[in-house]
Amino acid sequence: MDSSVIAQMVVSGALMGLVYALVAYGFQLTYATSKSINFGQGELVMLSAFFSLTLTHWGLPYWLMVPGGLLFGAAMGLVVERAGVRLALEQKSEGWILLTIILGLLFFSTAENIWGRDDRPFPTPISADPIHIFNVDVTPLEISVAIGVISIMGLIELFKRKTLLGKAFDAVSADRDAAELMGISATRTVMLSYGLSGMVAAVAGILVSPITTVGPTMASALILKAFSVAVVAGLDSGFGVVLVGIFLGALESLASFYLGSGWREAPGLVLLILALAVRPTGIFGQTAIRKV
Amino acid sequence: MTGNWKRFLLVRGVELVALAALAAVPLAVTNPFALGLLTLLAIYGILLIGLDVTVGYLGQVNLGHAAFLGIGAYTAGLTVTLLGGGMPMALIGATLICFVLGGLLALPALRLDGPQFALATLSFSALTTTIINEWESLTQGAQGLQVPRPPLLGVTLNAPDFYWLCLLLLGLVWMAMRNLLASRWGRAFEALRDSPIATDAMGVGAYRHKVIAFAVGSSLGGLAGGLYAFNFQYLQPQSFTYELMVILLLGVVLGGRKSLWGAFVGAAFIVLLPNLLSSRLLFQVFSGIGLTVAVFAAWRGLASKSTQPFQALAPVVAMGLLLGGSLLVTNTEDWRKAIFALMLFSVVVGLPEGVMGFATALLARLFRILPPALPAAAALETVLPQRPADGTPLLELHDLQRHFGGVCAVDGVTTTVRSGQIHGLIGPNGSGKSTVVNVISGLYAPGGGAILLHGKALPSGSLYRVAGAGIARTFQNLQLFGELSAIDNVMVALKDVFHAPLLLVLLGRAGAEELRAQAAALALLELVGLQDQARVRAKDLTYGAQRFLEIARALARKPELLILDEPAAGLAHPDAAELVKIIRRVHERGVTIILIEHHMDVVSELCDVVTVLDGGKIIAEGTAEAVKRDPKVVEAYLGVVAAEPTEAAA
Repeated sequence: MDSSVIAQMVVSGALMGLVYALVAYGFQLTYATSKSINFGQGELVMLSAFFSLTLTHWGLPYWLMVPGGLLFGAAMGLVVERAGVRLALEQKSEGWILLTIILGLLFFSTAENIWGRDDRPFPTPISADPIHIFNVDVTPLEISVAIGVISIMGLIELFKRKTLLGKAFDAVSADRDAAELMGISATRTVMLSYGLSGMVAAVAGILVSPITTVGPTMASALILKAFSVAVVAGLDSGFGVVLVGIFLGALESLASFYLGSGWREAPGLVLLILALAVRPTGIFGQTAIRKV
Repeated sequence: MTGNWKRFLLVRGVELVALAALAAVPLAVTNPFALGLLTLLAIYGILLIGLDVTVGYLGQVNLGHAAFLGIGAYTAGLTVTLLGGGMPMALIGATLICFVLGGLLALPALRLDGPQFALATLSFSALTTTIINEWESLTQGAQGLQVPRPPLLGVTLNAPDFYWLCLLLLGLVWMAMRNLLASRWGRAFEALRDSPIATDAMGVGAYRHKVIAFAVGSSLGGLAGGLYAFNFQYLQPQSFTYELMVILLLGVVLGGRKSLWGAFVGAAFIVLLPNLLSSRLLFQVFSGIGLTVAVFAAWRGLASKSTQPFQALAPVVAMGLLLGGSLLVTNTEDWRKAIFALMLFSVVVGLPEGVMGFATALLARLFRILPPALPAAAALETVLPQRPADGTPLLELHDLQRHFGGVCAVDGVTTTVRSGQIHGLIGPNGSGKSTVVNVISGLYAPGGGAILLHGKALPSGSLYRVAGAGIARTFQNLQLFGELSAIDNVMVALKDVFHAPLLLVLLGRAGAEELRAQAAALALLELVGLQDQARVRAKDLTYGAQRFLEIARALARKPELLILDEPAAGLAHPDAAELVKIIRRVHERGVTIILIEHHMDVVSELCDVVTVLDGGKIIAEGTAEAVKRDPKVVEAYLGVVAAEPTEAAA
């Protein structure tokens, strides 16, 4: 086997892995404030991508479409929080798991019926002509994905660490009741986290769609891998998802080459189950102390 | 007519009549379509009873059940096509394989809860689909697998015969699961859902029961899968995907969790659903009814202020969308998933107890069905035998240590608890009292030092094994099994009562032992004054009663040593006085007690010896009177009496 072919697959896979990392980062945002995640996050990615596509069909230029798509994603995140999560959190139950799955299914069906079941191309101003670096072909498009992922994550982390509103995340995460007593509205913080998480999903959709095309099935393809990344790295691992995302992306690219494209998903799923069995808090996560 | 007979007639009678009626249908109806639906109803009934074990009893979101249906179906199919096995072998093989795989999948679930468990089952399910799809040499992949229906014991089964077989199996599964879920096993599953920590601390073994529950539930998925294969005689990987999973969850939740009838109602709904969607008019009528019910329920709920606005209004919105959609959309089939989603959403939010949860309460009221009468309480001597209290060393702590990160919560504690004494453990907040008992009871492993019981090392770091060694405890923050009744809470923990093997339990031959257990549990409830509230759910008891119930539950372990972690916390005065009496009564039985308490009056009244902790170290030990006067103790509680009197007052 030619080593440059392997290198090529590892690099392309790793770049895709960054998108999984970004979707997984969306889980982290909401997990931090409410210990809940949106099981329908993949559908938010897909829905935002479709909506953005429609915006361009209405004649909006790319750089105006992007903020539109992000706003839509944030709004959908808020819908999920209101309809699927808040009640369960108030009742301190795990009902949000089922409810977010249900909302995802509703979004999926809606998208399928509005935009059709076929995959569609997604416009981008960035070139897809490969550049040759160290025996490996990389397209500016792929590089733009990497830059986009890292910069949006960096921006949100800056926001969380440097602004008062962002610090509320940590406060609510550490102790919801104490944060409430300090005058932080936990409900609003959770809403903010879901809004941000929805926006991150939209970014992921806009970044990845030019490469993968847009279609209803992109949701399920993305979500399983994002779950794997989030769990293997740990749901409170911060930038840990980036490393695991790159690793998993490369791994599945190799798996689909050596085992056949049908086995693409297998390594991620096996890793997820293994991680849960061996280290449920993830590689970069912190172990919690059981309290009674 | 006694209440028991009335109950028996109504509950068992309805089951028998329903079964007979279902069995008689093929005699009157020869329509193959109707018969096909009924066969599917029986198969899905078995499937949903299995799913209810994990979703209802264990309280976990299980997304892997559709995969077990698929594994069972392919196992049965391949047993026939590849191995040339007969139907019994295929069905038993499908059941066993899913039992084993379910158990294996549940093994890592030891440390998992809610979302992680859902994720593990989701990945398992996706992985299963991938394997069935891609392992073409075995499963023929997407092409599909033809499965002939082999003869059963030499008899070729036509459609009615096969229906009767499915119905017979449903009846058997129904009986076996009813017996299992009403036994100590079912109670343990529910206990596990409400508090895994307390389940372990009561010596029940959370891990083992979680694995068994999941394996049993999955094995029923496998059995249903086997029947599914012989029913359709053609298998395709895409039949067992995520969408089916959501439909199955819809069935369980809509029918009602923790109910065999709920599983049956859910199965009926699932079977009828495709037909409902195929006719637009029927679907419009159905949506209209759904909206009416939702509006009515919302109106009643809001008027009586029993439901939150969101809980009342969200189903109305969802049902409104459904009705609006049914009027606008021409092809309802295309919107199938959205329709499932809206229905499931309304049920999860608006009717969390499901149809049967609602109907059971209503029927029990309507027919005045009482729960079965309880036996007379057993003699206390048999439940909590008198122990000798000779003052010999029972529990010895040597230089016990426990750190959390850099914080030294317990820093070299050495003391001896003597048999038959009430040993007080006091100290200001954060002094390490709770950590000491958490280390003794096995919640935390010690960082250093030794714990000896009767001079022998106590198992460390395992609540379950410490419980087995004869130490029982209560919890500062109550860890009751909230959904279980008071008597069931005690019965979960009972020691030396349950001996019947699983097979006898499944056959319903463990009734005598169940009655003995009830009598024993009642004796303990009497001891803490709760005998009249035996049937009340633990979470509906008053706060004081909940504290007492925890003591009764711990005593069901026949403990040599009982650890009471702040039993008086938050108790009003009359309850605190009652608590002192209860502890005295327990003490009279010769049970040694470690009592952590802040109420000094309780401590002074009860304790033979008091150990005072501060900063993880022992600062004083002796009688209550002696330690109260110890200057170090005064300092720990009140600070140094300094020049400024305000500081001492604070």
